[in-house]
Amino acid sequence: MTNTKRAASAILSTLLGIAVVGAVGITLHTLSADPAGKLVATKSADTITVDGKNYPKASVTMGVYPDSATAVEHGSKPTKKDYVQYGPSNHVVLPAHTYVTMTLHVYDSGEKLNNPYFGKVVGTIGGTINIDGVDVSSVAPDAVQHTFTLHGLPTSSQDPLFVNVPLPHVEVNDKDEFIPTNDPGTNNKGHTVVFSFLTGGKGEYVFNCEYPCGDGTYAKFGAAMSAYGYMSGKVTVA
Amino acid sequence: MSDHNDVHLEPTPGERFSKFLKRGDIRETLAWAAFYTAVFVVLGAYFYPKWMPTVMSTDMKAIERLMVVFTFISAPVCGFVMSIFTQTLRHRHKGDTPPPDGPAIRNNRLATSVFAGVSSLLCLTAIVYGLVELNSSAEAATKDAPNALVVEVTGNQWVWSFNYPSLGVESNMLNLPIDRPVIFRITSADVNHSFWPVQLGVKADANHLATTLAQTTPIKLGAIDVKCAELCGLYHAYMETSGEVMTVSDFNNWVTAQGGHSA
Repeated sequence: MTNTKRAASAILSTLLGIAVVGAVGITLHTLSADPAGKLVATKSADTITVDGKNYPKASVTMGVYPDSATAVEHGSKPTKKDYVQYGPSNHVVLPAHTYVTMTLHVYDSGEKLNNPYFGKVVGTIGGTINIDGVDVSSVAPDAVQHTFTLHGLPTSSQDPLFVNVPLPHVEVNDKDEFIPTNDPGTNNKGHTVVFSFLTGGKGEYVFNCEYPCGDGTYAKFGAAMSAYGYMSGKVTVA
Repeated sequence: MSDHNDVHLEPTPGERFSKFLKRGDIRETLAWAAFYTAVFVVLGAYFYPKWMPTVMSTDMKAIERLMVVFTFISAPVCGFVMSIFTQTLRHRHKGDTPPPDGPAIRNNRLATSVFAGVSSLLCLTAIVYGLVELNSSAEAATKDAPNALVVEVTGNQWVWSFNYPSLGVESNMLNLPIDRPVIFRITSADVNHSFWPVQLGVKADANHLATTLAQTTPIKLGAIDVKCAELCGLYHAYMETSGEVMTVSDFNNWVTAQGGHSA
């Protein structure tokens, strides 16, 4: 083999390697993209004073429901269209150093928490949440349908943020009050849960549900509970 | 008949060993071995304690001591390996035609005995020392049990929670008073986790439907990083929380702020 051919082979092999690595990177990036886009909190012109400090306000509304319309796109189990999930997106963007009010429309049944600790409200303003107009600081472990548990890496440079909100279950077959979702087949009576918390500086956090609402594996934490896009997601404080 | 002075005597093992040590390449190899051993001894004595997490408990102190002693024990072994590696590189063959292999050496009983004896002695020392440290930790746990603060640790995908049954407090942060023994009762609400408060030198399995016990005594004020050391699913990397070893008065204030009561 001549020196020219050797050099050409080396360059070709290098380019081929770069192309393969690049293709893998692009594919992984595409697969990890948010299937339903980002849900950006709405900023308000109002401010509020908490512990002597003034904060701007923002709000965001989400739902927890079995959503067959988007479940196929969100998850890895297309045959399980009725798996419950957070929506309309599992990637929430919140402003930094802000008083955030979150409204959750929830209407799922439930059984019992694996760990009763997650029946307590943690990290909200006043240590309470408002359920259908009533302030509470906890929900009985056997009256929970899901939880919104927000946390992050405390040892990194970002500010700590921990919020746990137990979401009360609805009685099965109680269809008096219908809260519309993308799934017209679901019409259980629901609850509206409102709570507020303070964000710190910029950072990346995750949220997930601590109620065992997956399939029968891993103490009911399998399937949808262990897959991104159903009962878990991320929160970007920007 | 031959004269008595003409009798040819085989060299004794001591003479052979002495002659062996006088060889230039052997002296070079031993010098390199001594150098590398010294490097690892310095690493173990001075740098490892600086690189390891802050020592904040009796168990972490024992672990650090164990790491240092084990480094000392393994330093000569590593020193000899690195020495032979260095000599191999320095005296490697240069040129196209490699020389033929030398004759195999199969009858050096002294070298074989020294190698096997020293290796066994080092391993035995490591085993005995490790068992002694383990036993001292278990003895301390038994002795301190009546005064210990019990903390029930539960791993959940992907959050830790801590229950202080004697204080009526539940938290997602691990706060502890200084100089008081603590017993962790560790379990999991779902899959297997591993409870690892880094600076306390404790790492124990958190298994569903089982309780694992671990014990230590915090001896230094400061922050604790609590991690999960068992790959446990989607957000395993986020299964971290923090805590603090506090003065007794600060700890009591924290307990009161959490709605609990003093023990």
